[in-house]
Amino acid sequence: MKQLSIIINGKKHTVLVNEHEMLSSVIREKAGLTGTKIGCEQGSCGACTVLANGTPVLSCISPALRYENAEITTIESLSVNGELHQLQEKFVEKGATQCGFCTPGMVMTALDFVQQNPNPTVGEIKEALSGNLCRCTGYKKIIEAVAEYTKEQTGEKKEKNNSASVGTSRPYIEAGEKVTGSAEYADDITIKNSLHCKFLRSIYPHALIENIDTSEALKLYGVHYIATGKELPIKFGVLPISQDETSMAVEKVRYSGEIVAAVAADTEEIAASACKLIKVKYKPIKAFLEIDESLNDIGEHEKIHSYGKFNNNIHKKAELRFGNQQEALKEADVTSKLSFEFKGISHGFTEPHAATAYWDENGLTIITATQVPHYLHRALAKVMQVPLNRVRVIKPYVGGGFGGKSDPFPHEIIVSHIARKTGRPVRVRLSREEVFITNHGRHPSKMTVEMGVSKDGLLKALDADIAIDGGAYGSFGVVTSYYNGVLLQAPYRLNNFGFCTYRVYTNKPQCGAMRGHGAVNSRFAVECLIDELAQKINMDPCELRMKNFLVSHTLTVGQYRITSNGSRESLKKVMEQSDWKKRIGKIEFGKGLGVGCGFFISGSALPIIWNELPQSVVHLKVDFDGRVVISSGASDIGQGSDTMLAIIVGEVLGIDMNRIFVLAADTLLTPVDMGSYSSRVTFMAGNAAKDAAEKLKQEIINAVTVAKKCSADELNFAECSVFSNDKTVDLSWDEAIELLTAKRGAVSVSGKYISPKLGGDFKGAGAGLSPSYSFGACIAEVDVDVETGYVKVKNIWGAHDCGKAINPLAVEGQLEGSWHMGMGQAMTEQMKYFNGLLVNNNFLDYKIPTTLDTPDIHTNIIETIDPEGPFGAKECGEGAIHPVIPAIANAVYNAVGVRITKLPISAEDVLKGIKANQVLQNKISL
Amino acid sequence: MVSEKKYLKANSVENALKLALEQKENFKFIAGGTDVLVNKFQGNETVDCLIDLSEIAEMRSISKEENQLKIGSLVTLHQLHQHPAICAEYKVLAEAAKSVASPMIRKTATLGGNLLCENRCSFYNQSDWWREAVGYCLKCDGEICIATGGKKNCFSKFVSDMAVALISLNATIDVAGSNGIATVKLEDIYTGDGVNPRRFEKTSIIKAINLPQNEGYKSVFKKLRQRESLEFSSLTTVVTVSKNGAVKIVLGGVDPKPVVVEGMLNNNKEDFIKQALKKARIVDNDVFTRKYRHEMIGVYLKKSFEEILTNN
Repeated sequence: MKQLSIIINGKKHTVLVNEHEMLSSVIREKAGLTGTKIGCEQGSCGACTVLANGTPVLSCISPALRYENAEITTIESLSVNGELHQLQEKFVEKGATQCGFCTPGMVMTALDFVQQNPNPTVGEIKEALSGNLCRCTGYKKIIEAVAEYTKEQTGEKKEKNNSASVGTSRPYIEAGEKVTGSAEYADDITIKNSLHCKFLRSIYPHALIENIDTSEALKLYGVHYIATGKELPIKFGVLPISQDETSMAVEKVRYSGEIVAAVAADTEEIAASACKLIKVKYKPIKAFLEIDESLNDIGEHEKIHSYGKFNNNIHKKAELRFGNQQEALKEADVTSKLSFEFKGISHGFTEPHAATAYWDENGLTIITATQVPHYLHRALAKVMQVPLNRVRVIKPYVGGGFGGKSDPFPHEIIVSHIARKTGRPVRVRLSREEVFITNHGRHPSKMTVEMGVSKDGLLKALDADIAIDGGAYGSFGVVTSYYNGVLLQAPYRLNNFGFCTYRVYTNKPQCGAMRGHGAVNSRFAVECLIDELAQKINMDPCELRMKNFLVSHTLTVGQYRITSNGSRESLKKVMEQSDWKKRIGKIEFGKGLGVGCGFFISGSALPIIWNELPQSVVHLKVDFDGRVVISSGASDIGQGSDTMLAIIVGEVLGIDMNRIFVLAADTLLTPVDMGSYSSRVTFMAGNAAKDAAEKLKQEIINAVTVAKKCSADELNFAECSVFSNDKTVDLSWDEAIELLTAKRGAVSVSGKYISPKLGGDFKGAGAGLSPSYSFGACIAEVDVDVETGYVKVKNIWGAHDCGKAINPLAVEGQLEGSWHMGMGQAMTEQMKYFNGLLVNNNFLDYKIPTTLDTPDIHTNIIETIDPEGPFGAKECGEGAIHPVIPAIANAVYNAVGVRITKLPISAEDVLKGIKANQVLQNKISL
Repeated sequence: MVSEKKYLKANSVENALKLALEQKENFKFIAGGTDVLVNKFQGNETVDCLIDLSEIAEMRSISKEENQLKIGSLVTLHQLHQHPAICAEYKVLAEAAKSVASPMIRKTATLGGNLLCENRCSFYNQSDWWREAVGYCLKCDGEICIATGGKKNCFSKFVSDMAVALISLNATIDVAGSNGIATVKLEDIYTGDGVNPRRFEKTSIIKAINLPQNEGYKSVFKKLRQRESLEFSSLTTVVTVSKNGAVKIVLGGVDPKPVVVEGMLNNNKEDFIKQALKKARIVDNDVFTRKYRHEMIGVYLKKSFEEILTNN
C-alpha cells in the first residue's frame, strides 16, 4: 500500500492505495463518488471517463499513483450550486440519457471535446464520442444535445419543463440525477460491513463434479464463507415449466462459465484469490455444442438434462398449423424457400449485473439490477425456503436491460444465501466477461422458411422450420420457441400458416429473452423472403407489402385480436421520406434501398406464473400536502416508465410534475407488477395508473360536489385546479385536496389492469396473445464497396405505430435505440464460441456500433389510438427492432444482388456473392 | 499469496533505466498504459512492478533536426494526428494515429507504446479463467498454438498501426539502454515470433522516432476493421513511394511482425502483391477469416497503387 494525495473536484484526499489500483477505484471507493461508472474495466466503453488535470482519461485503465497531486474532475463537479451545467441541461432536454449509465462518461467526454472544439460539425462530434458506447439511445439524441449546446451557449436558462400531459415531450423525471451522476445503480449503493463475493466458474462445458476441495481457500485470511451447489439444491427458473437451474452446479456443470463455488471475503481481491485456491475435480463428458448434435439421438452419451422421454437434447417442440400450407404452396404462382442462420446476440447493457443482499428482522432484502422484482421475489422465496413475506426486492436505477435482467439470476440467489449464512450483507458485481457468459441473450438459430405468392402479389402461405439453440438452461425458452413461429402471423394476412420450432439444450451459456423476443430472426427470414418473392413477380416490395397488410380491428389466422393497425401509415411514411418510389430500381450498382416491416405484442395477455392477480396494480396516495404518490411495481430500466406513469396520472388529474412522486419497484412498498418485459409496461402499468388516477379523481369530485354543492359533470381538472365551467367552483389543487382529506386524512386508491380474455382454445393459443399489437416499417440505405464487400449503412428511415405517444421524446428514444440495436445485429454483433467458450466476451470484441458506425436515423411516430391502451398507447420499446434488420439486408440485395441469409452480414459473404453473380453474368453473356 | 506490487515513476530516461536495473526482470515499463494495463487486467501481464515513463519531459516533444523529424516516444496518438507538421508532411502517420482504438484511448496512448503493443490473438487476449478453460496456448506457456489447431509456432498478430506507417517511411528509433543510445531501423526490432515478438531488451526504452525529411513521400493507408472506432487491426496496409521511385509496402495485422516488401515504382505491381501474400503468415485468430484477410491484401494494395498513381 502507498499513500496517495489527490485532488478530486477541488477536495484533497489522502488515501492508501494498492500500488496497482486504478483511478476509478479511488474515485468510487475511496472518495465515494459513484457517478464515475465501471462498465468494462478495459477502456472499451468510456463510462469511467474523468478529467485528470483537464485531460480526459479512462479511469478504469489509469493507475491511481500516476495522479499524485493531480486535479481530477468527475461528473459530480459539473453542476454548481444545484444548477446543471448547460451541457447537462442539453442532455436532459434532448432526451440524451435513458438508462443513464453511460451518461457521466459521455458528458465528460463531450465536455472536453466542446472545450477543445467550440464549433464542431456533426461529423466531428461523432468522431469525438466514438469511444463511448451507449446501448439505449442510438446516439442520435446525444449528438443532438452536444450539437445544440455548441450552437446555443447563450447562458439563458430555459423554463424547467414540469408538464405532465399526454403527448407532450418531456425529459425523464430523473434525468437530472442521471446527468449529474447522483443516480445510484446497484453497485453504487454500499451497505456497511458488506462482504464481497466472487465466483469460481467451470472450465468445462459438460463435466461431472467429482469433488470440490475448499480447504486451502478457507485458510486465506479475510475469507468468510465458501458456498457450493449442494447447499442450494432447489431449482428455479423464470418459467414455471422450466425450473431447471440451480445457482451453482450441483452434480455436474452444463456450460463453461457455470458457477461452481462462491467465496465471500473482506475484499474482492481476497475473494478472487480464494477462488483460485479451490480445487475442483471434474470428469469431462461429451459436450453438445451445436444445434444439430442436440437434435439427434445422442447414443450412449449423457443428456444435458435427464428429463424428457427421448434420447436427445431437445428442450421444447412447438408446432402450430392453420389452413393448409402444403396445398397453398402448390397453388401459389411463385414460391421461395431459403435457409437462414443466426448467431447469438448479447443485450450489451452497459451496467454489469450487481447486487447486495442482507438479512434482518424483516427477512431478506436484496438491492439488485433487475427488470423483474416480482419474479425474483418468488424465486428467492422458493430457493431460500422462506415465506414470500420474508423477501424484499429493491430495484435501484438500472443501467439497461433489454431482456437481459429479466430472469432470477444465480448471483442474486448466492449473495442472498451467503448473507444468511454469514449474517453480513454480501455484495457482488459481475465483470464484463461474466456478464457475457451469464448471457440469456438472443438464441442462435437456424431456420428454413418457405412462402408462396400469387402473380398479383397476394401472400398465400408461410411455412417455417426453426431450430433454436437454448444453451444449458430453460430461461424463457419455451416462450421463445413459440414466438419464433406465432409472431409471423401478422402484419400480413396469411390464411395458410404454420411452423415447427425445436429448442435444444447445448453446453453453452443459456439464451433467453432479448428485445423483440423470439421473432427477430424469423421476422428477418420472412421479410427477406418477401423481398425475394417481390423480385420474382417483378413487383415493388413495398407495394407487395401494402397489398397484404392486415386491416385494423380483425383477427389473424391464429386468432390474435388486432385492434388499431398503423402498418400502412408506417410504410407510407418511410417510403415518402426516403423518396422510395422515385429512387427504387434506378440506383447505381453498389448502392441500395431495402424495406422491412414488423409487429409486436404490447405485453403478454397471460401471466408467466398462472394466477388470478391483475397484471399490474398501481396505488395512488394523496395527503394534506397535495402530492400524489404513485406506487408501482413496474421497473424503470431506462425506458422511461416512471415518467410515463407520472404523465398519465398528471393528465387525468390535471396536475404537474411538482405534485407527483413516483415510488417504484420495491416489492415491500409497491404493489405487484409483473415487471418490465414483453413490452407490457406502458399498456398494463399505464392502464393501472390511469384506472387509479380516475378513481382518485372520482374521490375528489365526490368531496368537491358535497362541499360546493355542485354537479359532478361540471367539474374540470386542469392546470393544477378543479373548477366548474362557469367558474363558480374554482379551487386550486391544494384547496381541492383540503376538501378531500378533511375529516378523513390521506386518501389511497388502487388501480389495476387485467387483460381481457383473448384467443382460441387450441393448445398453444396463448402464445403471443396480447391485448394490443404495435406495427412498423423501416427503409434502410446502404453503400457496398464492391471490391471488399464492406457494407456501410447510410440511412435508416423508421416509422412505428405506438398507438399514442404518451411521451414522444421517450418514444423516439426507444425507437432509435431499437433501430440502432438491430443495426448492430445486422452488421457487427455476434457471440462467437470456440469449444463452448465465448470468444468475444468484452466490449472490444463484441462489437456494438459506435457513433461512427451509426447512420442518420430518421424517426417517425405513427399514432393510431388503440381502443384499450392508456390514452390509446401501445408498445414502442421492442417492436421497432424487427423491421430494421431485414431492411438492411434487403438494401444489400438491392445494391449488389446478394441475398443475405446469415447474420451478421459479413463483408466476405457479400464479396463472394458479388463474384458469384459476376461469374453467372459472364456465363450468360457468353 | 498476494505478492508485493510496486509502482515507480521515472523522471528521466537515466532514472528509468536505473529503476529497471534495480528490478531485475520483474517489471514492465508503461507509458500510456492502455495496452499493458488491459493485459494486466486479463492476467496476461503478471509483473509485480510497473515503471511509469509518462512524466519524462524529454520524450514528449516533436522537433525538426537536420534531415529528420524527431518525435518523442511519449507523444500521444492524439497529439500526433493533431500536429501541423505531421499532418502536412507525414499525413499517413496522422491517418494511422487516428485509426487506432478510440479518441479517448488516443489521448493517453503514446507513439512508443503503440510500437511495443503486444501481439494479439483471439486465444490469447482472454482472462486467465478463459485461457485455462481453452488449454493455455503457446503464448501463455502452453504446448501448442490453438488458433492453428496444434502448430508449434505462435502466429499472434502484430497490431501496431503506427509501426506499419513508420516503417514505410523508413523510420529509425533511438533506443536508450545500458550502453547509451543506439539508433536502429524500426523494422529490425520485430522478430516474427509471436511469443517473443520484439528483439528488444527489456531494460531498453524507445526514446524517440526519427523520420527522414524531404523524401517526397506519397503514402496510402488502409485498415480493415468492422467498426470505424474501437478496433485493433485485422489488416493494415501502407504503401509509400518516395520521390526517387522507391516503393515500400508494409502490412500489419497479418503476421507476428510487420510484413515489408520493397521495390521500385516501375516494377510489376502484381509481383509486389505476390511477395506480400507469400510473406504474410495469416491464421484464423481474428474476426475476419484467414482467407478474407489474404484476399484483402491484394485488393488493398491494388487500390493503394491506383490511388498513388492517380494522385501523382
